Amino acid sequence: MRSGKFIVLLLMFMIMAGCGGGGGGASKTLASIAITPENPSIALNGVQQFTATGTFSDGTMQDLTSSVTWSSSNTNTVVATISNTAGSNGTAAAVAAGMTTIRATSGNVSASTTLTVSSETLNSIALQPASPTVAVGGTQQFSATGTFSDGTTQDLTSSVTWSSSSTNTNTAVATISNTAGSNGAATAVAAGTATITATMAVSQPIAGNISGTANLTVVAGGSGGQANVLPITVNGSLCSSGSYPNKPCVSVTVCTPGTSNCQTITDILLDTGSYGLRIFNQALNQTLRVSLTPVASGSGQLAECVSFGDNSSEWGPVQMASVVLGGEPAVQIPIHVVNYNSFGGPPGKSGCTSSNSIPDTSPSEAGFNGILGVGLMVQDCGTNCTSSSINVNPQQYYACNGSACSWTAVSLANQVQNPVAMLPANTNGVADNNGVIVELPGIGANGAASVDGSLVLGIGTQSDNTPSRQVAAYSASVASGTAEFTTSTSFGGTSSASLIDSGSNALYFYDPNLPLDSSGTWYCPASTTQLSATNTGSSGSPSATVTFQVGNYNSFHASSYSVFNLGGYSSFDEGFDWGLPFFLGRNVFMGFEGMQSNLGTGPYWAY
Amino acid sequence: MKNKRCIIYGLVFVTALFTFANGAHAGLGGNADTIGADRRSLSASHRATTSHGGYTVEEMAYASTFVREYISSAGIVFGVAWNGYVHPDLELLLGPYAREYTKSLRNAPRTHGRRRQHIVTDNVVVEKWGHMRDLHGRAYVPGLVPSGVSVDEIR
Repeated sequence: MRSGKFIVLLLMFMIMAGCGGGGGGASKTLASIAITPENPSIALNGVQQFTATGTFSDGTMQDLTSSVTWSSSNTNTVVATISNTAGSNGTAAAVAAGMTTIRATSGNVSASTTLTVSSETLNSIALQPASPTVAVGGTQQFSATGTFSDGTTQDLTSSVTWSSSSTNTNTAVATISNTAGSNGAATAVAAGTATITATMAVSQPIAGNISGTANLTVVAGGSGGQANVLPITVNGSLCSSGSYPNKPCVSVTVCTPGTSNCQTITDILLDTGSYGLRIFNQALNQTLRVSLTPVASGSGQLAECVSFGDNSSEWGPVQMASVVLGGEPAVQIPIHVVNYNSFGGPPGKSGCTSSNSIPDTSPSEAGFNGILGVGLMVQDCGTNCTSSSINVNPQQYYACNGSACSWTAVSLANQVQNPVAMLPANTNGVADNNGVIVELPGIGANGAASVDGSLVLGIGTQSDNTPSRQVAAYSASVASGTAEFTTSTSFGGTSSASLIDSGSNALYFYDPNLPLDSSGTWYCPASTTQLSATNTGSSGSPSATVTFQVGNYNSFHASSYSVFNLGGYSSFDEGFDWGLPFFLGRNVFMGFEGMQSNLGTGPYWAY
Repeated sequence: MKNKRCIIYGLVFVTALFTFANGAHAGLGGNADTIGADRRSLSASHRATTSHGGYTVEEMAYASTFVREYISSAGIVFGVAWNGYVHPDLELLLGPYAREYTKSLRNAPRTHGRRRQHIVTDNVVVEKWGHMRDLHGRAYVPGLVPSGVSVDEIR
């Protein structure tokens, strides 16, 4: 009796164990497998990725590429092998000319197709892109294209062996992945040049390797590995020693167009009140000085004379350069090379001679190596300078033949222009070109030796540049003809034009009630004073109060600090200049003219 | 003989006096008659003439630069103001005061980070400010500003 019950139980257990393999739930069985592509043909050293799609008894379909068993019949000779290794399941590699049957099997369901290997051989491998530039921390995807003896091409990115080498003895410049799913993705590790190589072993016509190479230039820049971020130091490590107070500095990389001949230059003033990149000739290395291509104007070369509000002036040629900001793709644009002696010196009546201005003849005279102008406008003159009715001195642009320079009209494309506005799409397919964000921490009442922050490129184009709900945009009007753009600031009962300008090193405004220092330049309240003003967008809204601090200049001057809540005198008509102190402890968005973002269409300031 | 020489000298002297008294030079300190010459030199066109208490403003424009000359009721240019993407030619507009301005510029310290300049010489005050594509400035002779007129009206 007992043994009988035991047998029944054992039989039931065996039956249950034999039923429905692998867990409960609805039972469906695999009905058929389809292999794609059907009957393909590849060249010697070519590869073919097969996919197995299963159809189940309930009509559902599922990709079974990674779970079927792949085989290649190779009846007479090894024509192709096929992989069952995780990450490359279903990848067939050609070995010799001929035909083989490729089979995908799962349990007792299988499917097959014929793979033909032609006798074409791999001749060469080409890599794209050929010489990109990326900042440290950024990534660059390479692709490898094989060309076969019959002229056909095939993407071999996932089947070549990728490697990176450089002459840096201590650190790799870049690493590159051979992992399935990220083949050919290079990561920039340290500044320098890396040679990227893609290699495929071949056995026909003779055993050996076919390789292709590319050059990857890695430049310093990018904060925390984010490609659209440039570090800013206010009187910090990116500034020259002995810099004037409240000076925000960045570094930019300038390259000869079409080459990887680049130079990273620091002590560049970050200026939201101007447009375009300007660099002193003295700050460029000799190779760049001679290799940046002049912009032609008539039968001569284009040059320009620009003035700043302090009556300083910059004279020199306009030349094409490839500019790299952070980890963004290089942008090829005209830049202003400041060179007082170029073309025999600034033309008389140009506004850049010493009878009319204070010409900057060197970086030490100017107080910087250059200026990165990322203000609201795109070109540094706009339609003022395109008109053919320009017919009198002084002008901004000149055409120079030797030392003979005369005023000239200039197209928008040839004008010195805001490099960020001209950025192309980055590796995510998005262009960070509709504006910038200046992010700087706040300081205490006594000031600071220096502060570090970030210049973020693009508004609402990446996860790191999306404005919070509290940010409001103040549109800046552009009056026709004058290109004057203003919002208005109401302070002390009167209203005046205003701008937000990181290149000004104080808040400059008119306040007859605040005491001034002995030079009549800086406000000197007995102790740090809080004041408020109301900013209004050009359309009438928004309109909101800004509170700001003005410290005692004399105390600051006696301290060893360089960053301070400086307030400076300006006359009633000059308007309200929200200089660098406005940016401390605030994220300030500059929306470029005509560009869209989720804050609206530029030009606008937002904070 | 002596009389003829005296007459010639006298005529030369009176002519010179007449010339200087009329301020036949252009720009600041010049008289209203020279405004037309200024316009021609600047290839500018007349835009407006407006009257205020104690003075008249002649506004002219060339390309996208606007220049305003302030003329007292005695017919003397006591101030000029301008705005545009370039500063106008100050050698012309400052008239006889251009030389002392240039000399003072050579001695002026570079005011890094300040987007304005304020030059005061013995006879003239010249101020510049603004930003790229929107530069402003004004110049005036304090001694010529009519009484009751504030310099802040020169803009």
